[in-house]
Amino acid sequence: MSEETVDVLIIGSGHSGGMVAKILTEKGINCLMLNAGPVADPHKDAEVKPTYALPFRGFKQPGILPHVFQANEFNANTWVDEKEVPYTCDAEHPYNWVRVRLFGGRSLFWSRQSFRLSDYEFKGKTHDGYGDDWPISLKDLGPYYARVEEIFRVTGNQDGLPQYPDGNFIPDDSPWSTSMQRFAAAGKAKGVPVCKARSAQGVDGLASSVNLLLPDAVKTGKLKAIPNVVVRELSVDKNTGLVNEAHFVDRLSKREMSVKARVVVLAAGTLESTRLLLNSKLANSSGVMGHYLIDQVYGPGMVCSVPDARDRKGTREIMGGSGIIPRFRNIETKEKNFLRGYALNIYSNMGGVSPHYFAAYGAELQQKLDSYYGSTLSAGIMGEVLARYENHVSIDKVAVDAWDIPALRIQTKYTDNEFNMARDAVDAATAIAEGAGFEVLVKNYEPNPPGYSIHELGTCRMGDDPKTSVLNKWNQSHDIKNLFVVDGSSFVSAGWQNPTMTILSLAMRAAEHLAEQMRQGNV
Amino acid sequence: MRRRDFVKGILAASAAAKAMSAQQAAAPGAQATPPAASPAMPPQGPVAPGPMPWNRGLLEAPQLGLRTLVPDAVAETNAHFFNQTQTATLRRLCALLMPPLKGFPGALDTGTPEFLDFLIGASPRRQQLMYKSGLDWLDTEAKAKFAMTFENTTDTQADALIRPWLRIWMTDHAPTELHAAFINQVHSDIRTATMNSQEWSDAQLAAGKWRDGYDLYWYPVDPNLHDEPNAVLGRPAMPVAPAPHA
Repeated sequence: MSEETVDVLIIGSGHSGGMVAKILTEKGINCLMLNAGPVADPHKDAEVKPTYALPFRGFKQPGILPHVFQANEFNANTWVDEKEVPYTCDAEHPYNWVRVRLFGGRSLFWSRQSFRLSDYEFKGKTHDGYGDDWPISLKDLGPYYARVEEIFRVTGNQDGLPQYPDGNFIPDDSPWSTSMQRFAAAGKAKGVPVCKARSAQGVDGLASSVNLLLPDAVKTGKLKAIPNVVVRELSVDKNTGLVNEAHFVDRLSKREMSVKARVVVLAAGTLESTRLLLNSKLANSSGVMGHYLIDQVYGPGMVCSVPDARDRKGTREIMGGSGIIPRFRNIETKEKNFLRGYALNIYSNMGGVSPHYFAAYGAELQQKLDSYYGSTLSAGIMGEVLARYENHVSIDKVAVDAWDIPALRIQTKYTDNEFNMARDAVDAATAIAEGAGFEVLVKNYEPNPPGYSIHELGTCRMGDDPKTSVLNKWNQSHDIKNLFVVDGSSFVSAGWQNPTMTILSLAMRAAEHLAEQMRQGNV
Repeated sequence: MRRRDFVKGILAASAAAKAMSAQQAAAPGAQATPPAASPAMPPQGPVAPGPMPWNRGLLEAPQLGLRTLVPDAVAETNAHFFNQTQTATLRRLCALLMPPLKGFPGALDTGTPEFLDFLIGASPRRQQLMYKSGLDWLDTEAKAKFAMTFENTTDTQADALIRPWLRIWMTDHAPTELHAAFINQVHSDIRTATMNSQEWSDAQLAAGKWRDGYDLYWYPVDPNLHDEPNAVLGRPAMPVAPAPHA
């Protein structure tokens, strides 16, 4: 049994855990990081192969990862196996919990879309009366966003829209193709802004914890890490009430072990951090832990064709590039059948077109695929899901994972607000496309199951009132002052924005607060 | 710290044991008898029978340079999931929906019916039922409308049965109506299995086109030692996890 007590124990190695490790170690604080999965080495663990050489010819192995729509036969082994780490939900209300336990977590695989939340999100209740405001505003988080944007090398334009806050961006000077220009002009005519997207360039395209954050922590010599250990529960000192120990199990041998810590930072990902706290029966005097699970609506959208790019006339001048329609509903006006808003990702595509867009087969289909090749432009929604108490997670009474750790039960569903928003988004995109003179090929109004966006948020929401929130505005437990939760579980509302920049900024802010509290001897 | 001192002791003992082991290996005919246990030396693990360590020379062996094949290049899949009529219907669908075109192979040329027999045979029951009932339905329709099996329908007759159910749809949102679900799924699967075949890839090469379908394949990374959940060592056994949505 080790007698050592680590200064700060960080559970999770993704964006939030990596950021905390970087900040704390650079301030001279010793950290131990635990990660539930192994360290992946693409040079050893991966190989470029043709689809025909795969065991299932590119079809995902039947029966595996039924809730991971993003999985294919190439990447199936990078996702968490749903049999190894199961969860339960009502059959009529499925939830797609999409997880990665490799070292670096989901920061290894993400879309790089990099947005700030605006005060339409931070102060949503003030704006429209629904839900709760965050205990912080854009002004509080702005300086941290700026530093994160610099680390992640975010490209973008300064658009001057309050709902799409500007930031510390590398200017995006790339010209738009004429298809994007036409779409933007048609949007403008309808009062809908179409802007350049904002994207983390990282280094060599990788914008992960493992290449942008953890190397700085490693350099200090203050970070130790253990892969392949699954934390079962946390325990507290009965005298002080402070968390002081983590009990974990070796993923491969199933050996049970424990480590003592002065401070514990949970960065395991929204639902895993909450699962750990619920299993530990800690930090929930408010009773709201596990509640207000939110995410974002993905799936609805439309695909159209740019006529003058058909029949192989789609040059780079005409096609290619991307943009975004930031939220434009419920800013100055009030929609009748939904609150909040959505954004639309716009892609002008120079490649092949899906055969699903044509009710044809054989030679007839091939003729259409040839004709429409390189001429499509698509729009897909990123819509805000309202925070609701009844959308929640709890510990399943029966199911356990491969290490006998009780599994999570997820009970959540979309309501008319999300369905109406989705319909509005598709209709708005369609109207703009038609206004631009494009031919709409296909539309979909049906949202993907909750969770699909991989933007699960909430369940340990932050707030000023310990009776209605789990964390304070520093991502610190109201109940246990040496316990911090720095992943997306602290979110009060989801917004439409990819949450990564906000998670990173909150983690940076929380880590600096923690370091100062440790320096002052308060933690 | 006591633990650190202990660890240093273990490391020193381990180094001594390695040195001794090396001496024994260097002495021809030396007995592989473990030395008497001492407090500073952990007991040796079991050794392989025979005079040579089993892994000797593996790291030094030259790369084989063997060009390996995928089985489909030289062998056929033994199809056995669908019955004879269903197989005939599926083959007819393959010929109709994905014929050879412009120098590219058709579904029958790429072993697609046999591959789908394997794939659907390994799939969850719901998928199997959709396929079997869909193939049976097509054959029944052909008999009812044209007094012949679907296998023997002309292109015009087959088109009359299939076209009403063709839909347009976006990824992850395939049609859900009974017959449309089957027709559009089988169409999609036939196309995918055909275009993901080596024959298709070779045809792209022959046509001077970019061979798509190459990507980074991830092997299992540190796979678990146990596929099935079992009791954690030292903890009381608990119920096995049911599948999600159970």
